[in-house]
Amino acid sequence: MEHRHLLPDEIDQLLDGEAGFGVAPLQAHVESCAQCRAELAEARQVVSALERLPHLAPSPMFADRIMSQVQVFEPWHVAAIDSVKQWVPASRSARVAGIATTAVVALVVSVAAVWTAVRLDAFLFFFDLAGQRVRVALFDAVGSAIASTFGDAAVTALRVGGITAAVGITGFLALVVLAAVGLRAIFATARRRRT
Amino acid sequence: MAPSLDLANLPDADVVTLAQQGREAAFRELLRRYERPVFSLIFRMVRDREISEDLAQDTFIKVLNHIDKYRPEFKLSSWLFKIANNVAIDHLRKRQLDTISIDGSPHAASAAEVEATSFDLTARQESALDEMEARELGTSIERAIARLRPEYRSCIMLRHVEGRSYEEIAATLDLPLGTVKTYIHRARHELREALEHVKGPGY
Repeated sequence: MEHRHLLPDEIDQLLDGEAGFGVAPLQAHVESCAQCRAELAEARQVVSALERLPHLAPSPMFADRIMSQVQVFEPWHVAAIDSVKQWVPASRSARVAGIATTAVVALVVSVAAVWTAVRLDAFLFFFDLAGQRVRVALFDAVGSAIASTFGDAAVTALRVGGITAAVGITGFLALVVLAAVGLRAIFATARRRRT
Repeated sequence: MAPSLDLANLPDADVVTLAQQGREAAFRELLRRYERPVFSLIFRMVRDREISEDLAQDTFIKVLNHIDKYRPEFKLSSWLFKIANNVAIDHLRKRQLDTISIDGSPHAASAAEVEATSFDLTARQESALDEMEARELGTSIERAIARLRPEYRSCIMLRHVEGRSYEEIAATLDLPLGTVKTYIHRARHELREALEHVKGPGY
């Protein structure tokens, strides 16, 4: 190493701070050779100048221009979590109260569900009873409406004719409604043309 | 509304995860972090502010619109620099082709003709450079970088301006490690030669 100056690659090895076999003799040579020391210093100066180079700034609207062309897609589960988070109270005490209320409601609903499952026969009985009462009330109301509109004969025909009479009456009503809507549309068009 | 987060203190990977969840603020944070490094790399490659902004914009749009494809085992910055380098190199290649075709020698018959057109290209770059140097990149080191080959330029920028390791640069630019080392060593030697006449620490 004493008999020659450093090669360019050897200077690069020292610049990169490599610490392998063969670097120690290079360092020893640099300490004893003024020319190689100057060359290494010059190389370090270039590296130092490179490392001091600043980052250049694009124009102020650069980010906005990019964002106007970027598709920001929010997956459904993230949107759902955010929606839920909106309802979570900010304060700790309110959160505790909310959790307690939710727990009580969940407990009541669970007990009700279990009771319903255990006493399914009783539940079905009451459900059927309520259904019957609603049906009777509905038929009475419809019968009264038909009787007051078309007379008792229509109600009798409906009872005798069953489904056929019901379809006939419904069709007739539908035709009346359609005719009314059609006439209204024709009059509206004529009015628009006049104006 | 999304909960507010201190994005500036999060690592890149976490900010990317938030961007993948559709948080616009996370996209803006990534832009804030990398707009200058990416723009600087491209600017020092193509030496034209307007074109550099367009190319940097293309880079970010490509990356941010495909953020769902980001693989966390790679650095986001490496992905950005890879695309930035590719768009800059593509632009330089196109510009070179345009210049040759304008100068009327797409089918140069002799070496002399090729040399003539390549000389013209250099002259155009120099004149554009002169104008730019007067404004922003007036230092000797910037002038010396501008005269490096584009491959050397991107390697030396990533090594000494962005502080990347040789291995990272090789992965970023899809080059063999040995090639990266060679490019950087040659670039340093060329810079030293170019700056030999300049005295003082400032260049």
